[in-house]
Amino acid sequence: MAFEPREEQKELKYQELRIYSDDELHNYTEEELKNFKVKHPIPDVDELEKGPWPSFVADAKREALHRKKLADDRMLINSECVEDLLGQLQVSFDDGETHWKHGGIVGVFGYGGGVIGRYSDLQEQFPSIAHFHTMRVNQPMSKFYNTDYLRAICDLWEYRGSGLLNMHGSTGDIIFLGTFTEQLEPVFYELTHVLQQDLGGSGSNLRSPSCCLGKARCEWSCIDTQDMCYELTHYYQDELHRPAFPYKFKFKFDGCPNGCVASIARSDMSYIGTWRDNIRIDQEAVQAYIGGEIPPNGGAHSGRDWGKFDIQKEVIDLCPTKCMRMEDGKLEINDKECTRCMHCINVMPRALRPGLDTGCSILFGAKAPILEGAQMSVLTIPFVKCEPPYENIKEIVEKVWDWWMEEGKNRERLGELIQRYGIPKFLEVLEIPAMPQMVTEPRSNPYIFWKEEDVPGGFKRDINEYRARHKR
Amino acid sequence: MEEMKKAILDFAKSSKKTKFYFSDLEKAVQKVIPKAKAREIKKAATALINEEKLIYFSTGSSTMYGLKGRGQTEDH
Ligand code: HEM
Ligand code: HEM
Ligand code: SF4
Ligand code: SF4
Repeated sequence: MAFEPREEQKELKYQELRIYSDDELHNYTEEELKNFKVKHPIPDVDELEKGPWPSFVADAKREALHRKKLADDRMLINSECVEDLLGQLQVSFDDGETHWKHGGIVGVFGYGGGVIGRYSDLQEQFPSIAHFHTMRVNQPMSKFYNTDYLRAICDLWEYRGSGLLNMHGSTGDIIFLGTFTEQLEPVFYELTHVLQQDLGGSGSNLRSPSCCLGKARCEWSCIDTQDMCYELTHYYQDELHRPAFPYKFKFKFDGCPNGCVASIARSDMSYIGTWRDNIRIDQEAVQAYIGGEIPPNGGAHSGRDWGKFDIQKEVIDLCPTKCMRMEDGKLEINDKECTRCMHCINVMPRALRPGLDTGCSILFGAKAPILEGAQMSVLTIPFVKCEPPYENIKEIVEKVWDWWMEEGKNRERLGELIQRYGIPKFLEVLEIPAMPQMVTEPRSNPYIFWKEEDVPGGFKRDINEYRARHKR
Repeated sequence: MEEMKKAILDFAKSSKKTKFYFSDLEKAVQKVIPKAKAREIKKAATALINEEKLIYFSTGSSTMYGLKGRGQTEDH
């Protein structure tokens, strides 16, 4: 389906938007970087560069040097803010405690989210980071943008912020790290009016919804993740910007159970594309895999010799529900038992494909609290069709929000509320029946709970009347 | 709407606290107007934000409402 924007799309041209010249952007040599020392002693922070992984400290030093070499009137935030940031981090290591104050009344007019206020409590020592507010920028669907857009936001943030940004936060947003209060409105204006770019969610809001590549690039996608994400982002603008929830709420959209945006682990309401009919099998291609003509896994493991491809060992025996077999040289799948794990499809993408009757499963309640540890979403709605304008999905969303806003305690995520009340109550809210797959060990656990109103005569009975019919 | 806005402001002014969860506002309005619905109350709160009588207070992970000019000010 072709993209139909909700508003007229401007074409951004970096040449017209740019703030810095090429010389200003490439203003230091690798030699200078090697000899560069930030103005504060930061021995413990330096340690972070020594491990095997890329370090934010290395990136921050580049930015610090870059700012040092820019002319002072080319930045509205003090050029030393990155050095001060690293300096304060060292003090926090020394003291074993943080030097950021918590929260603040900062924001842009009319929005209850998108800006996270931060103030240093060592403002005399580190004046350039006295304010270090974070801004969240709602990423384009699937994080598709072009270099003109990226250059434009980098220039903007160099000019009006610390120049440090984070691509991307776990909600998906592009995170602008560190600016002063007086820059918030100008940045907001530039983003919205010039770059046609909204802020994302923070606080007790709907957080910026995010999605996998979906049908744009991935042939496994069972739903148009980009379209759904875009539609729900627009439809729920008020929930995104004007908080009234007990706490944060996240939507994420995966086009298939491979889960490239990990919606099952990272969202209160996870949408995962799936199919109701059968896996499509191309028997000739199956033979080509067996015969070694097509490399398994799209050639992903070809860096090393793993021996000849063994369909029994590598596919059939690894099927989690044991629903595949070879019969007279043909691959058979008992689709009723298939749990849609994607393993066989991932190994033999040219032979096996998701079915054609597609939609999504909806799971609820993931969160990652620090004290109790991560909790995954629970499969609650096995299948719904996903066709624009997604009225059926919105109906589900609103049932869940109404319940959570009514019953949820302040700072209680949906997953915790479901735990507090139990799945049966949640199913009642959604008006859907329970199914055995929702129960651990359904064969040994009867999982049937009667409610008083479901039992004729209720739970009270006349014992004498009963005894008259049933001797002890 | 005006009635809800008044209920919110009356509550915010009389409270000892300076920051309120949305659910505090909801309860306060429902005391005066028992049938008031969450979505309507939210619209009233948003209107007060737009009129600059209420402000948002955000810690980053959760958001509260406050009365403009009271409690913690910007550069705390
Ligand atoms: C005594 C001091 C503090 C207390 C009691 C406190 C308490 C809290 C609580 C209860 C939360 C919500 C946690 C959750 O359930 O998700 C939170 C979140 C947060 N706090 Fe603090 N905090 C303190 C200091 C700080 C400081 C100094 C900073 C930063 C410099 C900070 C940064 C944050 C951030 C960024 C979050 C949001 C985390 C998220 O949910 O994404 N806190 N804090
Ligand atoms: C290079 C340094 C930093 C990196 C790589 C970084 C990275 C991140 C990431 C990945 C997130 C999660 C975003 C999301 O959930 O969407 C985040 C959130 C956040 N960061 Fe940072 N951060 C950095 C520095 C800082 C500093 C210095 C501060 C405070 C002064 C800060 C304050 C926050 C806050 C307030 C949040 C949001 C918490 C929430 O979810 O409500 N960050 N950061
Ligand atoms: S989640 Fe599935 S559909 Fe989406 S990009 Fe990953 S493999 Fe493709
Ligand atoms: S998708 Fe998974 S469960 Fe289904 S047949 Fe393939 S390996 Fe088995």
